[in-house]
Amino acid sequence: MTTIQAQAPPAKGRARRRPKPAHRDNRIAFLMLAPALVLLGIFVLWPLVYAWYVSFFNWSFYTESVFVGLRNFRLVLADPVFWASIGRGLRFSVIVVPAILILAFVFANLVKAMGQRMGTLLKVSIYIPTVISGVIASIVFVLIYEYRQGLLNWLIGLVGFENQPWLGSASTALLALTAPAIWLGLGLASLIMLAGLLDIPESYYESAELDGANWWQRTVFITVPLMRNIGLYLLVTCFVATIQQYELPLIMTSGGPVQSTLLPNLHIFLRFTNDDTVGYSIAAALLLFVVLGGLSAVIFRVINSEKAVDA
Amino acid sequence: MAASAPIIVTEPDPARSAGARDAVHRHRRSARAGGPGWAVLRYVYSAAIFLAALFPLAWMAISGFKARNEVVSSPFQFFPDVWQPQNYVDIASDPQFLRAVGVSFGGALLFAALSLAVNSMAAYAFARLEFAFKRTIWVVVLMTMFIPGMAILLTSYIVVTRMGLLNTLAVLVVPGAAAAVHIFFIRQFYLGIPTSIEEAALIDGADRWRIFTAIFLPMSKPVFVVVGITSFLAFWNAYVWPIMTITEPDSALTQIQQYLATFRSERRIEYGLLLAGSTLAATPVIVLFLIFQRYIISGIRISGIK
Repeated sequence: MTTIQAQAPPAKGRARRRPKPAHRDNRIAFLMLAPALVLLGIFVLWPLVYAWYVSFFNWSFYTESVFVGLRNFRLVLADPVFWASIGRGLRFSVIVVPAILILAFVFANLVKAMGQRMGTLLKVSIYIPTVISGVIASIVFVLIYEYRQGLLNWLIGLVGFENQPWLGSASTALLALTAPAIWLGLGLASLIMLAGLLDIPESYYESAELDGANWWQRTVFITVPLMRNIGLYLLVTCFVATIQQYELPLIMTSGGPVQSTLLPNLHIFLRFTNDDTVGYSIAAALLLFVVLGGLSAVIFRVINSEKAVDA
Repeated sequence: MAASAPIIVTEPDPARSAGARDAVHRHRRSARAGGPGWAVLRYVYSAAIFLAALFPLAWMAISGFKARNEVVSSPFQFFPDVWQPQNYVDIASDPQFLRAVGVSFGGALLFAALSLAVNSMAAYAFARLEFAFKRTIWVVVLMTMFIPGMAILLTSYIVVTRMGLLNTLAVLVVPGAAAAVHIFFIRQFYLGIPTSIEEAALIDGADRWRIFTAIFLPMSKPVFVVVGITSFLAFWNAYVWPIMTITEPDSALTQIQQYLATFRSERRIEYGLLLAGSTLAATPVIVLFLIFQRYIISGIRISGIK
């Protein structure tokens, strides 16, 4: 990929026509920045700082808060339900993320091989689910999973299987939730994958072909290594997004049956809405934040090393 | 490893204009191995993807045409016995549904406009202006991109509660308007605009604000479409924040997703109506996407970060 440097590289020495004061645009710059900085300050940075503060207190809307030190974090770390939800989130991600990555890779290769019109049609159709809300996806998939008259049970009935209570049984509910999660997440991953694939110079493939490499060899020795960065990026971003999924189980199953779909963020969210004190849920959210925020910041640095911060 | 493959490109690659792409594709097709077998397989795969992506939505729309109790009738059937638009007519004449659609639509427009105004000004400052602590502020802004939602959702709720914003329009529109992702994205685009264009204006004595409004804004259409639609969709599809902050039952600020979710839990048996309502709620965003799909898909080329 190319990066177009907007500013010419700074001239060495004093080649400029006249030396400029370093902060010549202070006034207009801060006027233009003010709305964004104020909003980010009030609704992003302050809530984050405040979360750290609250997590050390026994805080509630109704009573004086009492400093409790690390007790909230200890409560979270000693809570089997929290750890179970983390394990569940990992299980959920282990299905959803590889499925998305593999399907997106296949899809990208497919579009590349197709003609332009067909390729556009595929790109558009695969992206459409991405613009659908979690609520609507939930409504549709709950009906697909209906026990008695659902589409899925009708389909498996055609080949002789018994009806399954997909969302009603603790053994299948989490698996059932992976389908809408994949369906909603596939579009974006596919198009990013395709962008990466189209950036591989065609000449590589041509010379490989001249050397007699077949399609499989070209994929393994050219495409896969050159897509490594995009794959890594998608792996991490998909994982971070998937393990945070809580809208689908909130609407489809409310975390049930018997907590089998209680993903980490849903656990936190439900504790927050049900507890009198918010310390536990906020401490749990921060623990996740440290891990996931760190993970995505690291990957961003690896891939965009020095590119983003070239101001 | 060749040059690391960054996700970010500063501007749509002109070589990917339709004509060039067509040539590339033609060329690629000829460079592809395989005879007719491969072609058949490709079309089978394509059909499968096409179906998997669109089938749930098609089924939703079709089921809206069934009689009210026919959606979950036993045995299952895909098409209605009798096609009847009654559900669509009924839901579209339900005043609460209409109000929810109106709130979502108006709110989404307002949110998109606010998001564009706030983020484009900041993006311009970061792309073109010299000011104190620029690098530090930029790093802080970038860092907000990596804060997972749940880490600030709960305390944001406490903050807006303390500010007395619950059950107001402001609580829906204001908190998410500034977003580092959008600032980053618009800034990338502005960095790609040659400085020579504004140098002439500077020499003529135009001030920075004028350059921004007269030169940069008119050129911003491609990024504004992407950022505007992303913001619009985020608002239209939002569910969790609205149910936290719009707490009065049957509030005038109930939005469409809230309405549908409530409908589902309270009127379980009227699936036909629910699916008709969901179809109507999904239609505007699909249409919006289809109209602007070129921009959005090339926007994903520009920045793989959402």
